[in-house]
Amino acid sequence: MIRLENLTKSYLTMRGRKVVFRDLSLEIPSGANVGLIGRNGAGKSTLMRLLSAVDLPDAGKIVTDGRLSWPVGLMGGMQGTMTGRDNVKFVCRIHGVRGAGMREKIDYVREFAQLGSYFDEPVATYSSGMRARLAFGTSMAFEFDYYLIDEVLAVGDADFKAKSRSVFAERLTKACVVLVSHNMNLIRKMCDLVVHLDRGRAALYTDVEQGIAAYQGAGGES
Amino acid sequence: MNITARTSFQIQRDVVYALLLREISSRFGKSRVGFLWVLIEPVAHLVFPIALFGFVLERAIPGVDYPLFLVYGFMPFLLFKTICLQTMDGTRANRGLLSYRQVLLMDVFIAKVMAHCAVSACVFAVVLGGLALLGFEVLPPLPIELFGVLALTVALAFGLGMLFAALGSVSPELKTIARLVFIPLYFLSGILFPISRFPEEWMAWLALNPVVHLVELSRHTALPDYKLLPHLGIAYPLAVAMASTFMGLALYRLRWLSRAAA
Repeated sequence: MIRLENLTKSYLTMRGRKVVFRDLSLEIPSGANVGLIGRNGAGKSTLMRLLSAVDLPDAGKIVTDGRLSWPVGLMGGMQGTMTGRDNVKFVCRIHGVRGAGMREKIDYVREFAQLGSYFDEPVATYSSGMRARLAFGTSMAFEFDYYLIDEVLAVGDADFKAKSRSVFAERLTKACVVLVSHNMNLIRKMCDLVVHLDRGRAALYTDVEQGIAAYQGAGGES
Repeated sequence: MNITARTSFQIQRDVVYALLLREISSRFGKSRVGFLWVLIEPVAHLVFPIALFGFVLERAIPGVDYPLFLVYGFMPFLLFKTICLQTMDGTRANRGLLSYRQVLLMDVFIAKVMAHCAVSACVFAVVLGGLALLGFEVLPPLPIELFGVLALTVALAFGLGMLFAALGSVSPELKTIARLVFIPLYFLSGILFPISRFPEEWMAWLALNPVVHLVELSRHTALPDYKLLPHLGIAYPLAVAMASTFMGLALYRLRWLSRAAA
């Protein structure tokens, strides 16, 4: 369950305050995969930032009984001067995973990301594909109740894509996603309900097709 | 379940520890000899003026060894400058880290300050050890007081750094100004020569700079027979440190600092 209670969020811009949401309330029931759709600038990414606690709301709160991931495939948290292994260790440490648990995670990521000897080289020397694989592998090493995914899911070559898809599908038997995407086919495939964001309001559709229709009616692309 | 429930304190402790290791490894790991540069750079800061002025001004300050005068003046000044600027810019660096919900900006600040204090302690141990080998009496007669002065320096730097960071979120140009202020501050804090060299009537103005109090207090506690000038004392820097830390923390609560990070 994720409940938004009177969520208000605004940003200061050069031309004054821009309100993204005002008093947004919404409850997403447990066990449902959620698609967040809306036009560019409708506040999808802002809502994701709030869900992942990168940013805090001006007022109101987000209540949940589950564990929410960091944005899956996040690469900003990788430090270039540190090796892939040390970056994974860092993520383990902030999650309170130590000792044997940490070794287990490291083995998992090394296995998953297929970086070979690069795993012990600084991340700055990685290609963008390698970096994405490391980031995705790290996300998959931790079990959450909700995985927050902003658009990008498939990275790497065909082989890696197939593997990440199967791992992710396995993970989704126990966990859910909150997915932001403009790709309606992906939304149809992965989500049980959609939240349509439009002009600071959010509408929850338990029928995915209905939500997509509302989004397309509001001027979104198919 | 592979993520155990932790209390807020445990989370903060884990995060600060992780950030601390990261900070140290990124400082030391820039190149193969990275750990050497961490020491060499600040040591060079000290060694050149000592070599340059040490001989010229040998008898400049009666009864005081000039190299020790310099080291104990530099110690609080460098600590102040680095922590202040580092905290001010801390909102910009490590932005990606804040995407992990456990990591708060304050944790980044705390880890940076701790890492810097640890590095500084090593640097000054090396410098003082070197001077001891050369036959100087390096050990301070009032070590606990000296430690207190340095702790106050860290607090002042941290408070002002947060304040500058908040101001920088209003207008980034203010950060550039803050950075420029450090150039005259170097001379106005009496690092290379004692501020008693300045005309008597300037003293009231010079004493408005809290750093000069700390620099002189550091020397007063570390050098035997080093007298404190009448205008200087612990009360003023303490008041400024408390006021700026209070304001800095208040602005942090109001998210002025994290707004700059966004």
